[in-house]
Amino acid sequence: MSRISHLQSPRAQALILLAPAIGIYTIFAIWPMIEVVILSFQRWNGLDADRVWAGLENYRYIFADDPVYWIAFKNTVIWTVLSVIFPPLVGLLLALGLNEKMFARGAMRAIYYLPVIIAPIAVATMWRWMYDPFFGLFNQIMTGMGLQGWIQDWLGDRDVALYSMFIAYIWQHVGFSMVLFLAGLQGVDRSLVEAARIDGASRWQVFRYVTLPALQVTMTIVIVLSTISSLKAFDIVYGMTGGGPAQSTQMLAMWAFTQSMQIFDFGRGSAISVTLLLITLAVVVPYLRWSQKREDAAR
Amino acid sequence: MATVQVRDLKKSYGAAEVIHGVSMDISHGEFVILVGPSGCGKSTLLRMIAGLEDISGGTVSIGDRVVNALSPKERNIAMVFQNYALYPQMTVAQNLGFSLEISSVPKATIRQKVADAAEILGLTSLLDRKPSQLSGGQRQRVAMGRAIVRDPDVFLFDEPLSNLDAKLRVRMRAEIKALHQRLGTTVVYVTHDQVEAMTMADRIVVLRAGSIEQVGAPLDLYDEPANMFVAGFLGSPSMNFLKGELVPGSAARMQLESGETLALAARPEGVVSDVVLGLRPQDMAIDPERGTPAKVMVVEPTGSDTHVLAMIGDTEIACVLDGRPGIAAGEMVPLSFASDKVHFFDPKTEARLTTTGLSRAGAGPA
Repeated sequence: MSRISHLQSPRAQALILLAPAIGIYTIFAIWPMIEVVILSFQRWNGLDADRVWAGLENYRYIFADDPVYWIAFKNTVIWTVLSVIFPPLVGLLLALGLNEKMFARGAMRAIYYLPVIIAPIAVATMWRWMYDPFFGLFNQIMTGMGLQGWIQDWLGDRDVALYSMFIAYIWQHVGFSMVLFLAGLQGVDRSLVEAARIDGASRWQVFRYVTLPALQVTMTIVIVLSTISSLKAFDIVYGMTGGGPAQSTQMLAMWAFTQSMQIFDFGRGSAISVTLLLITLAVVVPYLRWSQKREDAAR
Repeated sequence: MATVQVRDLKKSYGAAEVIHGVSMDISHGEFVILVGPSGCGKSTLLRMIAGLEDISGGTVSIGDRVVNALSPKERNIAMVFQNYALYPQMTVAQNLGFSLEISSVPKATIRQKVADAAEILGLTSLLDRKPSQLSGGQRQRVAMGRAIVRDPDVFLFDEPLSNLDAKLRVRMRAEIKALHQRLGTTVVYVTHDQVEAMTMADRIVVLRAGSIEQVGAPLDLYDEPANMFVAGFLGSPSMNFLKGELVPGSAARMQLESGETLALAARPEGVVSDVVLGLRPQDMAIDPERGTPAKVMVVEPTGSDTHVLAMIGDTEIACVLDGRPGIAAGEMVPLSFASDKVHFFDPKTEARLTTTGLSRAGAGPA
């Protein structure tokens, strides 16, 4: 075979097309991950020429002595549980609504999706203004409606701040789930819905026995992606509260950043990152396996 | 079990009317097939009977109830869909029992009815399978079983055999017909396949562009089509249409547009000149004595008979000849036709003209 025809084989072409991406991902994604794992066993302030081997000291510190780690851990868990439930649920309800033939459906889909394309830091800034205790939109509205008693320092109150932030997060992420569910709803077999109606199913029963089973794959994708994006929540915390007040909105991704970039302890920061990576894998991998099994069983 | 009565039924989407006031009566226990080319409105009509499409005008009655305002489930009908529409996550048994399950029928009754339906359709060994583990024919049977279990007043079938391969289609045709004979339930069946319509129906309703062209028993429509559309739609290959002019005088002779003259054993009643002659391909034969010379274009042996495409002048003629006549493309053959089986149509209205027989026998070139 000549050299030309070698290059024309589909495998060779695939390799040629993939090579640049493989190179870039190795340099900018895979190597940094390995580097973080190595760093988590070292002591380094980010400036010195030498890194000192520290063994498990960084891990011992964050688990045993770090006063913030477990707060961040708890907040991350709360945040993730909420984000796996609410944005997909609201997204599904919106998708069901917008799947019906109605006036201005296209425009409404676009509007609900709009927040997804706004930079998270811009979202954080907008909502920080709206939550401002004196000049913010929410407190102004409540004052206007005579509900002064409900006025809160939305981002300044330790008991409320995390949930205030979560509202902004829902607002930004609902469009994403909605679009995926809308795509999933296109795949619902129309004659199956009609067969169910003839079989005597109510609207709820059609949803329960036809629509939901058909959305199973979409559901898996939405839940996995929601989990991943909630575990790595950073920009919104950074932009709205910076983790405060009194660490009440601190989360693992934010705390890893703070340890590394503000306290300049790259070893501890990396150790936190590694625990976050392991948590993500521990949640997502079993779920993917389980849903794959369930899907296979349904076939 | 019940009658179905459709009165001046109309369907519009916005300004576009797609069903133009259709009326028909279906008797108790009758097997009626709605047939027509795609886009003729046959499925829309069925879906209006089912309650899946809103009715724009007119009425649908099942039994003695007008059902226009009733939901599909209140009409007590069952429907079999082209793609079977089985619930993929449920087993065959659950699919069969679903309608009973959601109307809170006792479990024991459901089990009994499911077992009975499975028995009738030969599905007993498949009850625990999922639809994806079944063949096309088996899925079709489950879809029918789901209809049987409900013991409905009317069965509606929407092109149920279209997704099956040719061999299975022939078999399922026989099964559906046998099932109807056994259960005696009224059936309304939609298909675009005229063979299905001819073989299965008690009565055929031929539709075109949202209107009924003709209603009648299959053989009546075949022998006495109301117009060129019905004549061309039923029968395979389609009827040949030859345009021409009747030669004035008592003996029936016809001059084709291409110049050839044919002798006929019949002619239309009354004073007519321009006509369209309709000839079934099966009524053609090779006849050296009286045949009109035709040039053979294509020869297609099917084994039992031979389909031939030939040209008389510049008119294309399809013939089905008995056996294996041993002719080849390019040859000239003398083609004759059973002259008592000709049809005449008015070229303007396309309606069939009544024929009177002539005493003189035989036909061919004059």
